[in-house]
Amino acid sequence: MIEKFEEWYRNRHEYQTDWKQRNPDKKMVGFFCTYTPEEIFYAFDILPVRVLGSHEIQDVTEPHIFAMFCPYCRDVLAQGLKGKYEYLDGITIGASCIHLRQAYFSWDIHRNPGWSHYLPMPGHVQSPRAIPFLKGEYELLIKKLEEWTGKTITDADLKRGISIMNDARRAMKKIYELRKQDAPPITGVESMYMTCAQFFTDAREFTPVAERVYDELQTRKLDRPVGKRLMLVGSENDDLEFIHMVETLAEREPVGATIVMEEHCTTTRYFWDEVDTSIEDPLEAIAERYVLRTPCPSKDWPRRSRLDRILQFGKDWNVDGAIVVQQKFCDPHEADIPFVRKHLESNGIPTYFLEFDVTTAVGPFAIRVEAFLETLEAEEDLF
Amino acid sequence: MITAGVDCGAKNSKTVILQDGEIIAKASVLTGFDQKASVKASLAKALEAAGLTRDQLDRIGGTGSGQKDIEDADVKVNDIKAIAAGAHYFFPNCRTVADVGAEEGRAAKIDEKGGVVDFAINEKCAAGAGAFIEAMGRALETPLEEMGSLALSSDNSIPMNAQCTIFAESEVVGLIHAKTQKKDISKAIHDAMASRIVSMVRRIGVNPDIVMIGGVGYNPGFVEALRRELGVERIYIPDIPEFGSAVGAAVVAANNGKS
Amino acid sequence: MAKYPTEPLKCWSKAKELREKFYREFSEAHEKGGLRWMGSAWAHDAIPQGLGRDVKCITGEPYGASCAFDRPLSAEFLAATENYGFARDLCSYMRNYWGSILVNKYALGGEFPKADFAFSQHICCSHAKWYQNACELEGGDVPLFAIDVGAGPYPPFAPKLYEHRVKYVQEQLLDAIDWLEKVTNRTYDDELFLECVWNDVRSTHTWAKICMLNRAVPAPLDEKSIYSLYVFGTLQKSHPEFADFYEELYDEVTDRVQRGIAACPTEQARVMSDTQPPWGFLRIYRYLESWGAVSIGSLYTFGLEGMWLYDDERDEFEPRPMPAEKPKTREEGCMLLADWHLSKPEYQHFYHPEYKTRMMAAMAKHWGVNGIILHYNRGCEGLSVGIAENRLGLLKRGFKVMTYEGNMGDEREFDEKATETRIDIFLEALGLQKPE
Repeated sequence: MIEKFEEWYRNRHEYQTDWKQRNPDKKMVGFFCTYTPEEIFYAFDILPVRVLGSHEIQDVTEPHIFAMFCPYCRDVLAQGLKGKYEYLDGITIGASCIHLRQAYFSWDIHRNPGWSHYLPMPGHVQSPRAIPFLKGEYELLIKKLEEWTGKTITDADLKRGISIMNDARRAMKKIYELRKQDAPPITGVESMYMTCAQFFTDAREFTPVAERVYDELQTRKLDRPVGKRLMLVGSENDDLEFIHMVETLAEREPVGATIVMEEHCTTTRYFWDEVDTSIEDPLEAIAERYVLRTPCPSKDWPRRSRLDRILQFGKDWNVDGAIVVQQKFCDPHEADIPFVRKHLESNGIPTYFLEFDVTTAVGPFAIRVEAFLETLEAEEDLF
Repeated sequence: MITAGVDCGAKNSKTVILQDGEIIAKASVLTGFDQKASVKASLAKALEAAGLTRDQLDRIGGTGSGQKDIEDADVKVNDIKAIAAGAHYFFPNCRTVADVGAEEGRAAKIDEKGGVVDFAINEKCAAGAGAFIEAMGRALETPLEEMGSLALSSDNSIPMNAQCTIFAESEVVGLIHAKTQKKDISKAIHDAMASRIVSMVRRIGVNPDIVMIGGVGYNPGFVEALRRELGVERIYIPDIPEFGSAVGAAVVAANNGKS
Repeated sequence: MAKYPTEPLKCWSKAKELREKFYREFSEAHEKGGLRWMGSAWAHDAIPQGLGRDVKCITGEPYGASCAFDRPLSAEFLAATENYGFARDLCSYMRNYWGSILVNKYALGGEFPKADFAFSQHICCSHAKWYQNACELEGGDVPLFAIDVGAGPYPPFAPKLYEHRVKYVQEQLLDAIDWLEKVTNRTYDDELFLECVWNDVRSTHTWAKICMLNRAVPAPLDEKSIYSLYVFGTLQKSHPEFADFYEELYDEVTDRVQRGIAACPTEQARVMSDTQPPWGFLRIYRYLESWGAVSIGSLYTFGLEGMWLYDDERDEFEPRPMPAEKPKTREEGCMLLADWHLSKPEYQHFYHPEYKTRMMAAMAKHWGVNGIILHYNRGCEGLSVGIAENRLGLLKRGFKVMTYEGNMGDEREFDEKATETRIDIFLEALGLQKPE
């Protein structure tokens, strides 16, 4: 069953066009950042799907986004400009970094599917004023969605949206728990196929598969050495080629590794936190969830709250080291990285830094990761 | 009316002599460290070929990155105006011209008279098309002249990061280590360089009547990659692409500074 | 070939004195028993000023620009931040600022004066992170409060000013006052605060009125001079002397217009720019003038510290009128500050580039601009976000547009020669002649 995730990841467009055919009366909205309240879209019976890049070289975005903005936002925009998402009914973004906003803006100008919404998402998430503000924004969004769909929604619909998303989150978290084992039954590559597949699919179809995978993983034994237990920390990352390279190093070299945990917006920053269902007002509960989730660094101030969670992940998943990765030109992460590294290292987790582009120079990166793994061996020898 | 157009480029200094709209002579010499001397040598060589002396020229137009070192120039022709006039000279229907040289890429959108409507120049860190292909040819131990046809013999598409040549170079090294076939690497290099030029051309808008000038026009691998990436049927290239700017400068000089 | 009479600005030396005094007062604040704070030039600076007249500030953006003026010093600061582990594509003001702390050098002489607290606003990804990291680099014991102003666009770019949006900012400002009392152990002076709020409104309104005068032909002000004048809004909008200075300047520029005094005596064509310039190379503006092209300003110089409203129906761009009444309570003061600054033209493009394109097109039309020069500023993602779409939008409306890549505060990313070549091509296309 676990291969289903890879299949969904690789064939996202096929899945989504098929979904449209199966649900001719329903709408599908592409979202650009994980600060989009998917619960509200599900409440309207609209399917939210995240738009990720394709890791292909392209030359169509140059007139729209100039060179100092991250390759990821250009890759995302290229998907729209090249017409890969013509089946979407709408696009939306819950505001976080300004790089990705540009992909949304240019898409909105040049490929508007007929409905679009920019959701101001508070930056000062540590302020008590953030939740009421966001609730106000959600009310505007709901009004706009009501006008678009001709439907009105009730608290019961919102609660249904919440439970759809919470179920998917819980299913993935259960699988993540298994990665704590000495020999994790799921690799980092498989795990990332799973979290990204969730973006691309209907959560109501995703969750039962994830639950079955969880059952299968109870008895699954992988015929590969675990090697060093690594954690990935940093910006948007679905660079599966890189993860695959790291996890197959042992086939070619005397050292090897398994990715057992990540802190990315394609993985735990996205799904780790659930909506608190004990809060009576569902809209407030959703707002609270997005305000209190592990933040994108652009919203993580005045206190750098991410650090504690990253360290806790490192300890709970018993990692030997962390690879801190960053999309080239990603300002929010660039402002945090020296402190993330310092925090991990002063707490006994060695780190290594890599800068990612649309394509990865796997060869040179392999040499660097191998060298990092060797330093981890050397450190162990001291004891 | 006899004019000369001198284009002092990063790699070569080129001169064209134009008599009543006909090219009667041309010459190219390597731009050495002493740009002024290279320019003089190029002009002298062209004059000799035409059997003319300096004072028989009505005017000289100077252009190119080393324009300030063209001491004989009567008319200074900016680089974009030169490529626009040059493309218009060879192909009057041309509305978009891309100039791909050793170090720089530029493009212009032009009107029916060859005047500049809009333009784009490669940014600093995305410069160096011809020179990069040449350097990578050395890494592949393949002469520059063979790089293009080698690329044409490959059907594989290997994505290569095109934004920065330093990055691209490390990817080439990776491919060599991974024992990738030379022809596939060569194609990847050409595709990457072409996609950079295409990115730039897209800034001013792609037009079906697109002309390419500059020395890289001799490279069939690059031209094919460019054509494919631009999604056009053909790219119009003059027989002497490297003289495109020099011709433009001579034309503008003949019009006394006007396009 | 002077076409118009010109003369230097009379208030030039006063501007210089005021600026020097401001930076000196920051470094000397402690000696006089006062407090020092650091924060963004876009901050609601009236808020901390309610703590007392002896409270002095340094704003990071103009400070970063001052560093960039001094290229060798800036190189030292940038190297220090890179050595610390920061990427070199981050905001270059911010890197110059962090470098100052790391090297412990104040660009205006002496050691870097450590702040007692940080107070900022946040709209791009870097504002609050800037001071979060500055606090950390200053030893980790400097407290920070930042106000998120990313509350959505202002009318006419939104159907109306929604109550929850302006309240979000107002309530953060009120929280900030409580926080300031706590971290400084001072009692907040509401009367002084309200005076500062009014100074802020006065200086940002007057600055917009001054820029309106540049509609005149010949332009009484050129952008290189505008940079030296708009800076007071970035230093401290709520400063009484700065608000007064702008009123004086308004009178002087009005007089210049009446007498037909030009900033550039050879004015033949008018251009406008966008985003911060490469500060170490302001001579490119003089290069433009050698061709007879005067840069009359930009949405950046007009609208960063000037308050305007765009009128959809008339396609007009005019100074936002002063409020009818002065605020009387802390709540009213915070509400006015919140509302006033949410209308800042330089905030609107964060929600869509089209909003900025509309304001720029109106500017180009009403200020009689022949060509638009966009600086693709690698040093500031906040002001260059969406700029390529602005270019496309302006071209679509029939304007002539040129772009160049550079960096406001990192000279390594600016190629002066190549930029001059582009300017040559562009100005020639505008019909100007290259000077001999």
